[in-house]
Amino acid sequence: MSRHRARDLILFAVATAFTFVAAAPLIWMTLGAFKTIAEIISIPPVWIPDFTYLNNFTDLFENYWPYMLNSLLATLGATALALALALPTAFGLVNFKMRGRNALADWILSTRMMPPIAAAVPLFIIFKGIGLLDSVWALVIAYAGFNLPFAVWVAMSFLRRVPREVLEAARLDGCSWWQTLVRVALPMSRSGIMTVATFVFIFSWNEFMLALFLTSRTARTFPVVISSFVSTGKVYWEYLSASAIIQCLPPIVFTLLMQRHIVSGMTMGAMKE
Amino acid sequence: MQTPVLPASRRAGSVRRRYPLFGIDRIQQVLFIAPTCLYLIFLTIYPFVYSVYLSLHKVRLTTLHRMLFVGLQNYVSLLQDGLFLRSVENTALLVVVSLALEILIGFAVAKVFYEIRHIRWANGLRSVYLMPMMLTPLSVGVTFGYILNPTLGIMNYLLQRLGLPPVPWFGEPIAAQISIMLINVWQWTPFMMLLILAGLTSIPEEIYEAAKVDGAKWHHIVRFVEIPAVRSIILLGVILRVIDMLRFFDVVYITTRGGPGDATMVVTLYAYQQDFQYFDVGLGSAVAVLILVISIIVTTFAVHFLRNIENE
Repeated sequence: MSRHRARDLILFAVATAFTFVAAAPLIWMTLGAFKTIAEIISIPPVWIPDFTYLNNFTDLFENYWPYMLNSLLATLGATALALALALPTAFGLVNFKMRGRNALADWILSTRMMPPIAAAVPLFIIFKGIGLLDSVWALVIAYAGFNLPFAVWVAMSFLRRVPREVLEAARLDGCSWWQTLVRVALPMSRSGIMTVATFVFIFSWNEFMLALFLTSRTARTFPVVISSFVSTGKVYWEYLSASAIIQCLPPIVFTLLMQRHIVSGMTMGAMKE
Repeated sequence: MQTPVLPASRRAGSVRRRYPLFGIDRIQQVLFIAPTCLYLIFLTIYPFVYSVYLSLHKVRLTTLHRMLFVGLQNYVSLLQDGLFLRSVENTALLVVVSLALEILIGFAVAKVFYEIRHIRWANGLRSVYLMPMMLTPLSVGVTFGYILNPTLGIMNYLLQRLGLPPVPWFGEPIAAQISIMLINVWQWTPFMMLLILAGLTSIPEEIYEAAKVDGAKWHHIVRFVEIPAVRSIILLGVILRVIDMLRFFDVVYITTRGGPGDATMVVTLYAYQQDFQYFDVGLGSAVAVLILVISIIVTTFAVHFLRNIENE
């Protein structure tokens, strides 16, 4: 027994070491976000800053809140749109008796291979044509599209778990397909819906390249603003670290709060059931 | 005589009512599925066809109405462009080296987390370990730019304290390549680890017990039980990572911009520069088309392998 304990202890220490490597860069960045520029460039480094120094954050929020809002709107819009499209489709692909159902599902998944760079110029041209360039709507449309394949796929895997008898019972009671979906299947799959929403949210929130293409001034998202801190000659490390932390906060919170969903989403997305 | 008729017709009715589940309602069914398909056609298929079309023309982003059909000339000039070939080479190297490291380290970490899964704090630890893969790649680039900065970075300070010479992390070609790989490995090993852990967890306990009864050593278990169990999930992870790495952009954009020289130029950054710095969208589109073709080839091969493994 004690040998087991010792073994566990060693393995736990190893796991902690791995976890430290995974977390250390982020911890150091977080510490940097509370430093003045003088503290950031000082050697030997200031290890623990004064955590009441919030100027980096307040300056950023004051000057760049519209771009944070853009990020949030684009992300929420894309999440809502992707869910609205993916859930009925996934439900249909699971429950409708129709020819070519599997082929259709495979095709939807295969569109995930489409690299955003291959769509960037055409989307730029299309959005320019309909006057949506540099608008949050363009980002909502693009992000929802690029997340659809994954969303449909994960939604299919959890909608499959709704017992068929329950759906048949609802249909027998005279529910239309739409009612069966909204009143029966979806309430039974809350955690699955959370999984899809979490992923679409994080992917859209993290997106940078398309935002760089499709926005120029008013609709710029926060990552695009962060990148502009670097490209303008002098590098403002104090703002960079604070903005990196602000940018990473939603994903961090989601990972810690929803780890079960993230684990199931990642593995479901990878595994064909 | 009237009473038996009623139940019979009722039964017939109920039989008919069961079938709508598998029949009619076509309009609703179409409304469930068609929007997604149209959306994907509009957003991925159409842009791709458009890209193919653009790639066959000499056309600038600033003067889109003037297109000159040049056939495959863009592709020919790509294959003659040293910078493009370098970007392909760099991307391939990045894919191979970082995937190898991600699988090896990911397996080791997954094994450790698998062994301690009964400990209460292990779950919390694991979710912290998983964090890097959820982070905004651009912020990850910024973070490592800060840590590996030659003058104010903590990494070189620590190296010097240990009596080691400072490393020009992004300043010299080889060092910059390694730095980019390390950032990639740091961010994505958790993903591999998560997949492998899922694979390990799916091994039935009895197999372990049977192996122990048969006197199997730990390396026997790894070789004959665990590796076969996680092989196919690793391959799936590889497919997803290859597709993602062909899109690798944010981190190089923010840290090296492909430099020094062309040391860290990758295909997506090359396409971006053609499109939005030189406005040569014909050439940029040709790169994009090639990236997709490579994705399809790699995926087809990998899926083929996967089927073979599963059929074994």
